[in-house]
Formats: sequence, C-alpha cells, structure tokens
Amino acid sequence: MSAMLLKKEKWPDFVGKLTGKKVWAPQGEGEEMRFAPVNEGEAPDLAYGNTRVPPKQAVFPQTETMFRFQVDGKEIEEPQLDQETVLLGVRPCDARSMAIVDKLFGWDEDDPYYFKRRELVTLVGLACSEPGINCFCTSVGGGPAATEGLDLLMTDLGEDYLLEAVTEKGELLLKEAGDILEEAGDDRYKEKEKLAEAAAQKIKRSVDHEGIPEGLPGLWEDPLWQRVSASCLGCGTCTFLCPTCHCFDIQDEVEGFAARRCRMWDSCMFNEYSLHTSGHNPRPSRRERTRNRINHKYSYYVDKFDVIACVGCGRCINLCPVNIDIVEILRQVKEAL
Amino acid sequence: MDLDKLRETAAEVAAREDVKYLIGWKKGSYGYRVAPGFVEEAEGAAGLIFSPLCTANLATYLTLVEKLPLPRGQEPDKRKVALMVKGCDSRAVAQLLVEKGIHRDEVVVIGCPCPGMVDPDLLGEKYPETEEPAEVKWSDDGFIIVRDGEETAVPRDELLAEKCRLCRYPNPVISDIMLGDPVDTWDPAEDEGVSEVEDKDVDGRWAYWQEQFSNCIRCYSCRNVCPLCYCQDCILDRLNPTWVNRSVNFSENTAFNIARAFHLAGRCIECGECERVCPANIPLGKLNRKLAREVRDKYGFEPGLDPEAEPFQASFKPDDPEDFIL
Repeated sequence: MSAMLLKKEKWPDFVGKLTGKKVWAPQGEGEEMRFAPVNEGEAPDLAYGNTRVPPKQAVFPQTETMFRFQVDGKEIEEPQLDQETVLLGVRPCDARSMAIVDKLFGWDEDDPYYFKRRELVTLVGLACSEPGINCFCTSVGGGPAATEGLDLLMTDLGEDYLLEAVTEKGELLLKEAGDILEEAGDDRYKEKEKLAEAAAQKIKRSVDHEGIPEGLPGLWEDPLWQRVSASCLGCGTCTFLCPTCHCFDIQDEVEGFAARRCRMWDSCMFNEYSLHTSGHNPRPSRRERTRNRINHKYSYYVDKFDVIACVGCGRCINLCPVNIDIVEILRQVKEAL
Repeated sequence: MDLDKLRETAAEVAAREDVKYLIGWKKGSYGYRVAPGFVEEAEGAAGLIFSPLCTANLATYLTLVEKLPLPRGQEPDKRKVALMVKGCDSRAVAQLLVEKGIHRDEVVVIGCPCPGMVDPDLLGEKYPETEEPAEVKWSDDGFIIVRDGEETAVPRDELLAEKCRLCRYPNPVISDIMLGDPVDTWDPAEDEGVSEVEDKDVDGRWAYWQEQFSNCIRCYSCRNVCPLCYCQDCILDRLNPTWVNRSVNFSENTAFNIARAFHLAGRCIECGECERVCPANIPLGKLNRKLAREVRDKYGFEPGLDPEAEPFQASFKPDDPEDFIL
C-alpha cells in the first residue's frame, strides 16, 4: 500500500475531490459531539480530541429503519442504501472498534443493514498525537496510529499530512486525489513512526487483562460487583458512548396505518433490557447489569471472537456521571482473581 | 468544613445498629473526580470528603435501590440509610417526604452547609483535568485549587457553578445531624439563562430547543440521576402502549424532554444534576428552572422546603386565580 504527502493548505482541495460522496466529520460546538455531514465546499477542522458519540452510528445508526409497511397491507418497502460516505478524522480506536464489531454482525448470518453501510463507508483516520486523559488503547491491542479497521490513515506532520492507504478503498482515495499529493520520503515515514511512539508514551492509563477473560466467570458471586455498581445510576451513557457496544432492540412504530420496523441502540444497563414477558428479570439489579457489561467486553467476546470488545477510548470513564471507572473495575477484578 | 469532624460523625452513624449504610462523597479514581461513597462499616468513613467538587446529589440513591423479591422466610432489611446532603440535596429529601417516596424514619440526614460548588467544566477549561490526584478547597473568599503540588487561589465568581449562583438555600432545610455552622447566604443571581429563552419569540424558542433536543441520545442519565424522577413504571419504558417511541429523532426526543420537564413542575428542587450529567450538553437546567419560575410566580410555591407541605400538583384551592385559563 502506498503513502503520500498532503500539504495542509491543500486539505480543502483534498476534501473537494470527494465528489459524489457524503462527507462526515466531527461536528459540534466546543467539544465535538459527534460525526455529522459536512456542508459541501467546507473542509472540516481536524484539531480535536475525540467525539463524545463514537462514529459507530455511520454503520450502526442509533435508529435504523429496516422496512416500512401498512398495517393492513402485505407489502414492505425497504429503504435504499446507496449513499457512499467518507468519514474524515476517525480516531484509530474507533476504527478498530468497527473491525471488532464486524465479527459480531458477521457471526452466524451477515447482518445486511450493517454490512451494506460498512461497504459504503470509507474510514479516513487521524493518528492521535495528544491522547486523552483516560485513553488506554495501547493496553487492549490498539495504538495512537493503529490502522485496523481504517481505509486510510492520516498523520499530522506539522505542515503536511502523511496519508497511508490501508485498504483498496484507501488506495482509491489517494488515486482520486491525484496530483495534489506528493511522494512521501522515507524520512517523513520515520517522522510519523516517532510521533506515534511519542503519543503512545503519553498514555498514562493501562489495563492488565492477563487472565481476566478466563477468570471473570469464576468471580460471578464476588462481592466486588456490589462494590463497583453501588453508585451506578443505571443510565445508558457508558454503553451509548461506547464504540464497541452493539446491542439493539427491534420495535414497530405505528402512526395510523403507516408503520415501520426499526432497530435502535439498546443498553444492557437499562432495567427493561433483559426483562422477560413473564415479569422475571434475570438481571434484576445494577449489580448484575454491571457484571454483564464487564463480562461481555472482557470475557464472553474474547471467548467467542478472540478479541476484547473494548478499545480503550476512555469515553465511559470520561462521561460516567458518578465516576464508575472501567480501568479501576478491571484492577479490582485482577485483584480478586 | 472540618473533615475530621465529618469523618468522626460519619463513622458514628455508620456504626449505628439501625443504619444499613451511609452515603457520602469520596475521592474519585483520578484528578478532580469525586465519587459517591457507600460506607457500611465505621472504618469506611475515613475516605469521606466534602469539597467544592461534591456536586453529586446523593438523594437519588434513596429511591434508586432495587427492591428485589426476597427468598422465602427472609425479612426485609428495614434499617435506615444515612445520607450526606448539601442545601439543594436536602430539598430533594424534603420533597421525597412530601410525596411519600420515602418516610422520615427510613433516613438519617446529615446536613452539610454548602458555600457553593465549582463548575467542573469551567474548572477543566482553566485548570485542566489531570491523572494525578487534584482537589479544590474553599477559602474565605473563593476556591483553592490543589494541582501538581501547587495551590492556586481563585476568586469565587470565576468558578462558581451556575446552580450555586442562583441558589437560595445553601443550608440544609432538614437534617438530623448538622455538620458545622450554617453558611452565610448570598444574593442569588438573576436567572439570565431562563430570561434569555423567555425573551425569544415562539419561533426563536422552538429553534433553540430543536437544536438542543436534536443532540439528545436518550441515555436517560438526566432521568436516572434525578432524585425526583423515581416512578417505578416510567412512561418512557412502556411498550404497550408506547407513549414515547424509542427511536431517536427530534420529535421523540422532544416528547421525552418535555414530558420529563412537566412531570417535574413544582417538584424540581434545582440541584442541576440533569444538566451536569447530560453527555450531550443539553441545558436542561433552563427548562426545569423555567417551570420552577412559573410555579413560583403563579402559585407562590417552592418545592422541597417543608416536608409537611401539600404536593403542589395534587393540591387544589378554590380561590386559585387561574387567570391563565382562557
């Protein structure tokens, strides 16, 4: 795969070349809220930490219409998905989360909604130079310049961006950009390696997960779960802002005779998530729900797909209203093993 | 506040036979963070603190506890829950008593007179969050930030949280034990945030809230953190019938946010927790304070002051002017 150099003053030209594709980038005032469509002719500013809501919504929207129908009819109408989208400035952790979630959506049957969107999306990443205070990607298999899940990786080299294609889609973008790019010499590549190394050094938090995936089931009744969940409010902040959380619910919404079936993000931290029709709830309190959240990410997923379903983006720690800190929970798990 | 006195008192209360556990504030996992602390044994009280970072309203935990079915023959634990409260938090307790959400003999209220909290966002902007332990203390005329081993004095107005600028009740309105002397109250600031929205025309207000509610991700952290949002069967969770669709769009988000605001009219005690926890930065305080203002102006009623009061939404007086009814 090839690597090219883009002068920063040519960044608007690069964005301008993405004709026919919808461009998404971090949008919001002050603190970037989420990835959202960029107005045509605008070049998004990439000086940001990370979005509060991860870009998973580009492939797994919070609300997805599966089909529309009439209550008294037999026909269904499926929405057409054909809009190619380019996401600019995706952080390596968030791209990696998509590679991880791919395994779930492609597990027994390929999920058509997810993979259709995945196919239509091109992920242009931006390597991190200033990791956030709660980042711990390097502990869980990622890194500030990791490429897994990305199509193209950009690295800020001061005056220029280094553009490295990761997949065919990425190659294509480089080809389309054409003569606004310059060849990148070996020295620039080395510069990038150095920056990535320096960024990794800045990551202060870490998780020692050795033995945790196998050990977690044995801690089922451990008092630690009561301890770490006592202050939990049972809200969906940690799961909705998690790039790898992928649980959904499917519901029909009816207005008059017009109806649609849609699926929407669900959260295992909600009471009704595991509520049975009978009224029985196998996870009746926040203790069991918290235990499930940790087990799912650090044990069940590893068991099934051989990878931890946590990319260390730190969002759940940053935004938990009551300072429930997954790094701290895992430290206590490790201690209890 | 004398921390030794606080811990000593907390240890005594936690050790009481009729107390199940005590809920206070403790140092969080890093930086400025403060977390709710659940203390079951007297020793646990040693980690408790009270500082300008203790924003969390712990009264929410009184109604958050799941009442699970007990194994046959097992008696429910009827011991009390002890709770540390600031002025605003104590109003939540009083309002819960009014609504009989809790009963007076179920709680031990430990009052902490409150000189005002810092706004965590303002604090982070000026003195960025750090992975090393950091803290904020009160001084005579402001705050002292302790970070990287250095102490920085900051004037009160620079960092005081909005809800505290507007606060009329910094001293707990009810308590069983009061820690320290009451603080001097201050003149509450004009609620410009609410006035600004009021001054917009209908279209302007609609546009304003449309922008805000569009950001809502329906994590329900505002509902869950709210000490007065404690319905066992919330309409938002109802599927049959579905009152508010789960789908996330402006229309449903608006239905949710307006429903919550209405349900809190005459009940919201303005602790500001909803706005603090919202990951989408929706200014929920403005919405709830607007309704609080209406109730105050039109009915002369303020919730959470008198545990014996009649609940506002469940009271009727024949001489109500009702001049808003056409």
